[in-house]
Amino acid sequence: MATVARPRGATDLSPRPNVASANQQLPGVADYEQVDRDIGGSLTPTAGWFGALAVAVALFLWGAGTWTYQIYWGLGNAGYNPPVMWGVYIISFVFWVGIGHAGTLISAILYLFRAGFRTTIYRCAEAMTVFAVMTAGLFPIIHIGRPWKFFWLIPYPNWRLIWPNFKSPLVWDVFAISTYLTVSATFLYVGLVPDIAVLRDRATNPVRKRILAIMSLGWRNSEKEWRHFARMYLFLAAFSTPLVLSVHSVVSFDFAMAINPGWHTTIFPPYFVAGAIFSGIGMVFTIIIPIRKFFRLQHYVTINHLDAAAKLCLFTSMVVGCAYLVEFWVAWYSANQFEQKYFWNRVFGEWWWAAWIMLTCNMVFPLSLFSQRLRRNPAWLFILSIFINLGMWFERFVIIVPTLSHEFEPWQWAHYVPSWVDISILVGSFGWFFMWFLLFIKQLPVIAIAEVKEIVPPKLRSPHPHEDAIDVTGQHQAYEPDTPGEFA
Amino acid sequence: MTERSGSAGVKRRDFLKVLGAAGAVTTTVGCFQEDVEKLIPYLVSPDDTVPGVSTYFATTCRECAAGCGLIAETRDGRAIKLEGNPAHPVNHGALCARGQASLQGLYNPDRYRHPMARKNGKLERITWDEGIRTLRERIAGLGAGAANAVFVNQHETGSFAAFLDQWLAGYGMPAHVAYDGEAPHAVMQANRQSYGSAWPALDFSAAKLIVAIGADFIELWGASVTQQLSFADARAKLADAPRFVYIGPRRSLTGLNADEWIACKPGSELAIVNALAGKGDVAAAATAGGVDQAVLQRLAGEIAATKPSLVLSGVTTANALDVALAVNALNVAAGNVGVTIKPAEALTAFDRVGSPNDLRDAVQRMASGAVPIAMFRGVNPVYVLPKSLRVAEALAKVPFKVSFSPFPDETTELCDLVLPDDHFLESWGDAESVRGSVSLQQPAMDRVFDTRATADVLIGVTKGDPATANRIPAADYRSWLIGRFPGGAQAFGAALARGMAPGSAAQSTGTPRTVAAAQPPAPAPLEGQQGDFYFVVYPSPVLGDGRATNKPWLQELPDPVTKIAWQSWIEIHPTTAARLGIENGDHITVTTAAGTVTAPAYVYLGVRQDVVAMATGRGHTGYGRYAQNVGVNPLDALPVAHDASGGLALATVKARIAKTADHSPIVSTEGSARQHARGIGRAVTAAELNGPEEEEVEHFAGDNKHDFLPGLRSPVANDAQGVLGNPKSKDKGMYDPEHWSGMAKRRWAMAIDLARCTGCSACVTACYAENNIPTVGAPWQGRSLRPFHSGDGNGWDTRPGANILKGREMQWIRIERYYEGGEDGSSDFDTRFVPMMCQHCGNAPCEPVCPVYATYHSPDGLNVQVYNRCVGTRYCSNGCPYKVRYFNWHGYGEPARRQYAFPEPLNWQLNPDVTVRGKGVMEKCSFCVQRIREAEHRAKLEGRPLAADEFTTACAQACPSRAITFGDAADENWSVARLAEDRRAYHVFEELNTFTAVVYLKKVNHPAGGAR
Repeated sequence: MATVARPRGATDLSPRPNVASANQQLPGVADYEQVDRDIGGSLTPTAGWFGALAVAVALFLWGAGTWTYQIYWGLGNAGYNPPVMWGVYIISFVFWVGIGHAGTLISAILYLFRAGFRTTIYRCAEAMTVFAVMTAGLFPIIHIGRPWKFFWLIPYPNWRLIWPNFKSPLVWDVFAISTYLTVSATFLYVGLVPDIAVLRDRATNPVRKRILAIMSLGWRNSEKEWRHFARMYLFLAAFSTPLVLSVHSVVSFDFAMAINPGWHTTIFPPYFVAGAIFSGIGMVFTIIIPIRKFFRLQHYVTINHLDAAAKLCLFTSMVVGCAYLVEFWVAWYSANQFEQKYFWNRVFGEWWWAAWIMLTCNMVFPLSLFSQRLRRNPAWLFILSIFINLGMWFERFVIIVPTLSHEFEPWQWAHYVPSWVDISILVGSFGWFFMWFLLFIKQLPVIAIAEVKEIVPPKLRSPHPHEDAIDVTGQHQAYEPDTPGEFA
Repeated sequence: MTERSGSAGVKRRDFLKVLGAAGAVTTTVGCFQEDVEKLIPYLVSPDDTVPGVSTYFATTCRECAAGCGLIAETRDGRAIKLEGNPAHPVNHGALCARGQASLQGLYNPDRYRHPMARKNGKLERITWDEGIRTLRERIAGLGAGAANAVFVNQHETGSFAAFLDQWLAGYGMPAHVAYDGEAPHAVMQANRQSYGSAWPALDFSAAKLIVAIGADFIELWGASVTQQLSFADARAKLADAPRFVYIGPRRSLTGLNADEWIACKPGSELAIVNALAGKGDVAAAATAGGVDQAVLQRLAGEIAATKPSLVLSGVTTANALDVALAVNALNVAAGNVGVTIKPAEALTAFDRVGSPNDLRDAVQRMASGAVPIAMFRGVNPVYVLPKSLRVAEALAKVPFKVSFSPFPDETTELCDLVLPDDHFLESWGDAESVRGSVSLQQPAMDRVFDTRATADVLIGVTKGDPATANRIPAADYRSWLIGRFPGGAQAFGAALARGMAPGSAAQSTGTPRTVAAAQPPAPAPLEGQQGDFYFVVYPSPVLGDGRATNKPWLQELPDPVTKIAWQSWIEIHPTTAARLGIENGDHITVTTAAGTVTAPAYVYLGVRQDVVAMATGRGHTGYGRYAQNVGVNPLDALPVAHDASGGLALATVKARIAKTADHSPIVSTEGSARQHARGIGRAVTAAELNGPEEEEVEHFAGDNKHDFLPGLRSPVANDAQGVLGNPKSKDKGMYDPEHWSGMAKRRWAMAIDLARCTGCSACVTACYAENNIPTVGAPWQGRSLRPFHSGDGNGWDTRPGANILKGREMQWIRIERYYEGGEDGSSDFDTRFVPMMCQHCGNAPCEPVCPVYATYHSPDGLNVQVYNRCVGTRYCSNGCPYKVRYFNWHGYGEPARRQYAFPEPLNWQLNPDVTVRGKGVMEKCSFCVQRIREAEHRAKLEGRPLAADEFTTACAQACPSRAITFGDAADENWSVARLAEDRRAYHVFEELNTFTAVVYLKKVNHPAGGAR
C-alpha cells in the first residue's frame, strides 16, 4: 500500500511520521486536476454501491417494521426483564452517540490543533458524526413506552403550563443531542460549501447543477469568500470543541445521577468521553478503510494518516482501560457493599462474559497498536476496529444491564436476554446509518476537495515575462523592464 | 328508485318521496335489536343510590366453609370490592385472598351464561322453564329409584343444607352428601369425640407455647382468618409471645412462621405425640421420626413446664385420627381445654361437614350402575378425588346427571343438565359460623348472567307439579328464609344492614345415606412401601382443593411459601437435589403405586431430605380459560386412602422419583431468597427485646430516622435550606404548611409489623382488587417469540406465567420471603416475610429523574404517579432502590390486544376511582390515594376534620394479621405515628437517605431456651 505513495524503487528517506509530522504532502497526488478527478470520480454509482445500499435499506425497513410492531403490541416484545428496564435501546443510544464523537474530535479539535493527518479523513468522520447522532436520537424514542408522546420532553409553550423536569438528566440529553446534531450538521455543511461548488462546476445534469448551485450558496472562489469561510470554519470548530466533551458527559449523567451501584460515580463523564472518542475512531477505521480501498483513494488516505489515527486510538484505549481499572479500585475503596457486590458480579458473576468481551476488545487488543507494523497495516486496523465496535457496545451493555439486574433489593434480582425485536431494531439502526452514509458518499465528496488541494502543490502557470514576481526571500518584486524600448 | 338523468334531474317531489321512504325503512330496521344491552345497570336509579358513590351490602362469604362476614362495595349496581365485616365474629373485618377473589368468580368470563341440556352429545342452551321441567319430569320418573339418588353439595354452614334435605326427603331421596375436600376431617372427628364440637375456638394469645403437628392453621386448617387474627395477636405480645414449634415433614406457610421446625417423617407423628405427652419412648419416637432425640426431649420438657400451651394436629397420614385424638388427650392432660381451646365458643361452620368417604361411597354406587340420578352443586368430584377412583367412568354409568355449578368444571362437562347457580353475591342465604349468631347472605347486585339460585330452582321444581306445589310454602328461598327468621320480614330487613342477627340456622334432620359396609381398605403402612421418598400432597394455601383455580388473581398470587404462580412444582430438598443432579425447573416424575405425575422440581429447604411434596389445585382439564391445562394434579398419583374419619389421606404413599430430560423455568417472583445482609427483613430475639435498648447511632442533623416530617419538608430538603438545627421548622419547604388545604401538614405513612405478618398474601389480592391491577400470567398474555407468528398463539410465548418468567408481574405490594440460616440444607432456618410496596420516600430517587414530572411529590408526602403524563422512560424504576415500580409492557387494558387482562365481564369489577393504565406507562402503589381523597372529601362535606384512623388502605384493611397500619405520621393521634416510635422500627435501606414513609417493625424470634 505504501508503495502507492512512493515512486517505485525509490528509497524512502523521509522520517517516520507521527501525529505532528503526518501533515505530509500527498506524494501520490500530482495536481488539482487529479484531485477533482479522483475524488469527483468516486461519486459515480457502481453496482457494488447499489448492492450495499439495497442491503442497508432492507435492514432499515426491517428495523422500522419491527418498531411499528413494537408500538402496536407494546414494549413487552422486547427482552426487558424488570428490574432491567433499560436494555438494547439505551445501550445502542449511548453507542451511537459515542460513535459521533470521533467525528467532531477529528474535524474540530484536530483542526484547532493543526494536526495535518485529519485533512483526508475528517469529512468522512464528520458525516459519520451527523448520521450517528441521527441514529442515536431515534433510540430514546424507540425506548420509551409511549413514543407518540416523546415531544413532552421538549420544553415548548403549552396551555397546560407544564414544563419538562429540568432536574432530569433525560431532559439534559434532549438538549445535548439536539444541540450536537444541529452544530455538527452545520459544521459538516459549511465545510462542504467549496466542494459543492466544485461539483457544481463539474455537473452536467442541469437539475443536479441547479441543486448544487443552491447548496453551494453561489460560491465563486473569491478571496473574500475564502476569508469568510475560514473565519466561519474556525468559529464552528471552536464552537464544536466543547460539545465533544459536554455531550457525552451529559449522556454519562443519565447513569451517574442515578443512585444505582455501578452508576453513581464521578468518574463517568471523563470515562464516557474517552470511550466515545475511542469508539468513534474505531468506527472511522471501519468506514474509511473500505472506502479508500474500493474508491481507490489510498494515495489520499495514506498509511501515514492511518498510523497517526491509530496512535490516537491507542491513547484513548489506554484512557478507557485506566477508567475500567479505577472503577474497580473505587468499588473496593468505597467499602460500600452494594458497589463491591456489583463489581464482583460484573467480572466474576453471571455477566462475566460481557465484561470480558469489553475488557479484551477495548483494553487488550488495542495494545497491539504499540507495534508500528500493525499500525500501518490497514487490514489489521479494520479487524481491530470491528473488535472495538463490539467492545464498546458491550461496554454500555456492561454498564447498564448488570447494574439493573443486580441492585439493592435481592428479591428483585433478574436476568436479561434481548429478544428478536431488540436485535431487529439494533440491526435496523445499522441499516439506517449506512443508508445515509452510502447516499452521502455518492452525492458529496467523501474527502474534502478544497482542503486536500491546500496540501497539493498548486499547478503554477508559466510566468509571463512581464509580470511581478516573488523572489526567494518572499519579497515582492515589481516588474522592471530592463530591455529599453520593449514596449515601444 | 327510478334513475333520471339530463336537465330534468330529480324532481323535488320525487326526492322527498324517496327520502321519506328511505328514512322510514332505516328507522324501522334500526328499531329491531337482537339483544338489549345494558350500558348502565340502572335506567331509573333506586332512591338510595347516588351515581359515583358506593353502596355497601353486608353478606357472607362462601368461598370456603368458614363463612366470614363480608361488606360488598357496589358502585352503580355492580360489586367492585369485598371487605371483611368488622362486626362479624369470625373474621372481624379481615378477609383472605380467596375471599377477595370471589369477585372474579362472580365476574368470571367462563361462567355459564344460561341453563343448558345435553342434546346429541352437546350441551345446548335451554330456557329455565325447560330446565326445571326436565328436572321435575326426571325426578317424577324415578319411582323407587329415588332412594338411590345422589345429591352432592358443597359443605356450607347455614339453612340451605336443611332446606335441601327437606326437599330431597319430599321426593323420597336420601339426604345430601356434604363435601369439603379442604376440611381436616380427622381433627374434626377427634374434636367431636374429645370436646363435643367439631371446631372449638382456639385462643393462641392465651398460650405460652404453640406446637402444631402438621396443623396449618394459617392456611386451610379450619377457619384461617380467625386463627390468623388470634395468632397475630399472640405474636404481638412480642417478648411475652408464645414460642411456636412446628412438627411435620414439610414446612408449610404456618411452619415458616414457627420459631422451630422439627422435620419428622410422615407417619411418625403418633409416636412423637406420645413421646411429647410422656406416654411413649422418646428414643424410639426420635428414631421413627428421623429427628434428634435431644430436641424431642427438650420439647417434651417444654410442654410439661409451659402452661397453658396449645397443641394442634393436622396430619394427613392414614392414622390422622389417632394422632388427633392423642393430641387432644395431651391438651386435656395439659389443662389447655377451656384456656387455649374453648369448646364453649365453638365454631359451628364445620358442624355438618360430611365425610369424604360418603362421596367415595356414592361414586362406588354410581360405578355399580345403581344410581339413577346424580346432582352436583359446588363440588367437582372428577377433579377433587384421586384419579385412581375413576370418577368419570362411574359418572358415565349414571343415566341422568344434573349440575348446578356456575362454572364449566370437569364434572359439569359430563352432566346432562346444567342449571347454573347464582353466585353468592347474587343470591340469598344464611350462615351460622358461630353458635347463636346468624350471618345473612344477600345479593349485592343483580345477576350477571341468566343464572338462578339452586334453592329457587328446587322450589320451582315443586311448584310446577300440583301434587307437590304446597310442599314448600314459600314463593322463593328468600321468603322461606324470612319465614323462619324470628321477627319476620321487618327483623330480617333490619338484620341485613348489619349482616348479623342472633339466632340459628335451620338444622338438617335428615341423615346422609349410611356408608355401605365397604370401608376403604386400610392403606399399606408407609414404612413397608416401595420407594425412596415420602410423597406428601398438601392443599394449596391459595387455590385450596382446586376450586379457586379459575380466578386469575389467585393463579397470579405467588404461593406464599415457594412464590410460584401459574405452575405446578415438586418440592425437593437441596441436598437430595444435589445428590440426584436436579436443579430448579428440571422435570421430575414421581411414581407411586397409584400412578405418576411429572412436574418441574423446586428446590426447597423446608422439606425433609426423604420427602417430595406437591400442592393440589392445578392441573384442571376444564374449569375455564384460567384453570385449564395449567400445571398438573398430584392426585393423579395418589391412591384412594382414607383415615379412620373418612378424610382423604394425602401423605400416605412412598414414591420413586426420576429426572426427565425436560426443563421448564420456575415461574417465580423470587429473585434471591437471601437478603445478603442488607437488612431488609430484620428480627430481634425476645431476649434482646427484654434487654437494654441499643446505643443510638449518631445521625447527622435532620436525620432522625423516626421523624416523619409533613409533606415535602424532608430532612434533606431542610438541610439544603440551612435549617439544620430545626428540621420541624414551620416556615420552610416548598409548600406553605399553613395552606388552606391542610395537605402540607400531613405525612401519609405506613407501619408494617413483621412480628405480626404471616406472609399469607391477602394484602396482595386486596391490592389487585382495589387498584385494577392486571394479571399478566395467562397463557395468551405472553410476548411474541419470533417475527412471523399467527393470531392463534403460534409464535407467542404461551407458557402459563410467561410474563412472570420475565419478571413482569404487577404486584404493587409483594411479599418478599427471605431465609436466614440453613444454608447447608441441614440446620433449621428462619423466614422473614417482608411486604414491600412503594415506600413513598421523602427524598425519592425516582422523582428527580422523571423528565416529564409524571412522578412527583404531593404536599401530603405521597409519591404520586401521573399515568397520563408518563411517557415510559422507566428511569424512575432504575432509580428506585426498592424496585416497586411496574411497567405496562403490553396493552393489558386494551380489549383489542391478546394480553387484555379484563375480558368481559371481569372488567365490571374495575374500581371506577382508579385509572386502568394504558400500554407503556409506569405504575406503582399509590397508598390508595383514592381512599385518602375520598375520606378527605367526606370529612370536608361533613364539615369536620379527618378523624384519626378513620380509613385505611386496601392492604391494611384486608390483612388478617393486622400487620399493616396506615395513617398520618405527622399527627400523633394516628396509630401509625405511635408505631413509628416503636423501638423495633426501622426503614429499609435507610443509608440511602430516601426517608421512606414505610416503617417496618422487626420480627421477634423466640429461639429454644430463650437465647439465640
